[in-house]
Amino acid sequence: MEREMIAYQCIQCGELHHPLHYVCRKCGGRDFEEVPLRGEAKLLTWTKVYNLPEGYMKPSLGFGIVEFENGLRVAGQLDVPQPKFGMKLISTVDVVREGVGQDYYGFIFKSQEA
Amino acid sequence: MREVGIVGVGHPRFGKYEGSLMSMLCEAAVEALDDAGIKTGEGHGVDQVLVSTMGGSQVNRQTGVASALVDTLNLRPAMAETVENGPASGASAVKLGYMAIASGMCDVVLVVGGERMRVLSGWEATDFVATMSHPEAEYAYGLTLPSFAGMFTRLIMEKYGVTERDLAMVSVKNHENAMFNPSAHIQLAPKLEAITEDEDALTINPYVAEPLHVYDVCPVSDGAAAVVLCALDVKERFARKPVKIAGIGQATDTHVVAEREVPTDLFAVRHAAQRAYDMAGLQPQDIDVAELHDAFTILEIVESEEVGFFPRGEGHLAVRRGETQIGGRIPINTSGGLKAKGHPLGATGVSQIIELVKQLRGEADGRQVKDAKAGLAVNFGGFGNNVVATILTREEE
Ligand SMILES: [Zn+2]
Repeated sequence: MEREMIAYQCIQCGELHHPLHYVCRKCGGRDFEEVPLRGEAKLLTWTKVYNLPEGYMKPSLGFGIVEFENGLRVAGQLDVPQPKFGMKLISTVDVVREGVGQDYYGFIFKSQEA
Repeated sequence: MREVGIVGVGHPRFGKYEGSLMSMLCEAAVEALDDAGIKTGEGHGVDQVLVSTMGGSQVNRQTGVASALVDTLNLRPAMAETVENGPASGASAVKLGYMAIASGMCDVVLVVGGERMRVLSGWEATDFVATMSHPEAEYAYGLTLPSFAGMFTRLIMEKYGVTERDLAMVSVKNHENAMFNPSAHIQLAPKLEAITEDEDALTINPYVAEPLHVYDVCPVSDGAAAVVLCALDVKERFARKPVKIAGIGQATDTHVVAEREVPTDLFAVRHAAQRAYDMAGLQPQDIDVAELHDAFTILEIVESEEVGFFPRGEGHLAVRRGETQIGGRIPINTSGGLKAKGHPLGATGVSQIIELVKQLRGEADGRQVKDAKAGLAVNFGGFGNNVVATILTREEE
């Protein structure tokens, strides 16, 4: 099944949010419209973590914070061998955590060459 | 508004505790009551008990902890509440105790902070702490507090030229300070070269969340700490001279770390400290000693800038110059900090305040800052989304 991540756009002022807020962080509006959140993103910072919480059967995992072309910044998993500041990434959506009876889907950012 | 002071402190050693959460809390509480000269039993005079714990319910499966503590200590019918504000629970509980007295509702408040975390494995503890991050946008990804600290550190290094060696210097300083603190969890100080340059440095000090190493991250500790607060107009009841709570400030920031407008700033630290300075009528240069929340070494550096001790981007230069050591311009984390003293979440804010009380009383022994008159503590919750700053001052005769 095709999974898609969503941004929430304030109907009153147009401000984009991810994740969902109840009140717009810019104008105080309360009504939002769902818009797809996908495409190219720029890497702002990253880490490689070795002490992972329950449920991850691997020795390390990459994480990053990226900025989409629409200006939204989000955190996600990072699957890039040699991260660099400002590098262009593609956003993919896949399982980020396996849960009992329910897997969690989220962003996994990858380099464009791959 | 009534003035409030601290007349009793209790701080058993942090580390691994074999008994129950309740007995750990009671040990700290009784030590603080004894220090204040409060006799248990009839006529104890304690009006309110506040217990700060983050994992009491989730980790130790006990709720209503404050109600249970009141009865275990036979302090009935005192008022009682349990306070949860993540790793800033301790300073939040002291703040609420302050408000209870300042309002006139209470004369005497006992605040006990405690966490029994060592029942968890290392990664279970990391996972538990991560539950305060955003459930869908952060926690679901496997993001943890060390992950955010690692990403934050990389930004600060790129922007201001902070190095891994600077962070290790903070760690070594705090471990050395802890050698003089009998309440500290870790009483072994590493040599800077051994954890930075030596051939086997990466074996002794591996990465946890790049660019942060083991020696940049606080340990998992059990521990409890307690203080007795009183109205200064009833101070004659107690055995000890009060240390005054001169200012308290608190501020919040975005829950989702990626939404911060300036990702290298700790906005809530800056605002909490500013509010505390304003209330105390003091400025950064009036502070003689500080306990800053160094769950990760980078935080001590950036907090030291946000509270106004150093210009932005220069905190690490002050570390290189030794200005934050005991004997330096503004000694930071004389207790050993979270890094070496330990970080039992709900106890930490109370513990930081106790270190300031000891410094202002002149009872800090080998780690005493000469003639300390004013101290600042910063207790940091989430990845900086809820911060409490507390300023204490020595009461002149
Ligand atoms: Zn809006």
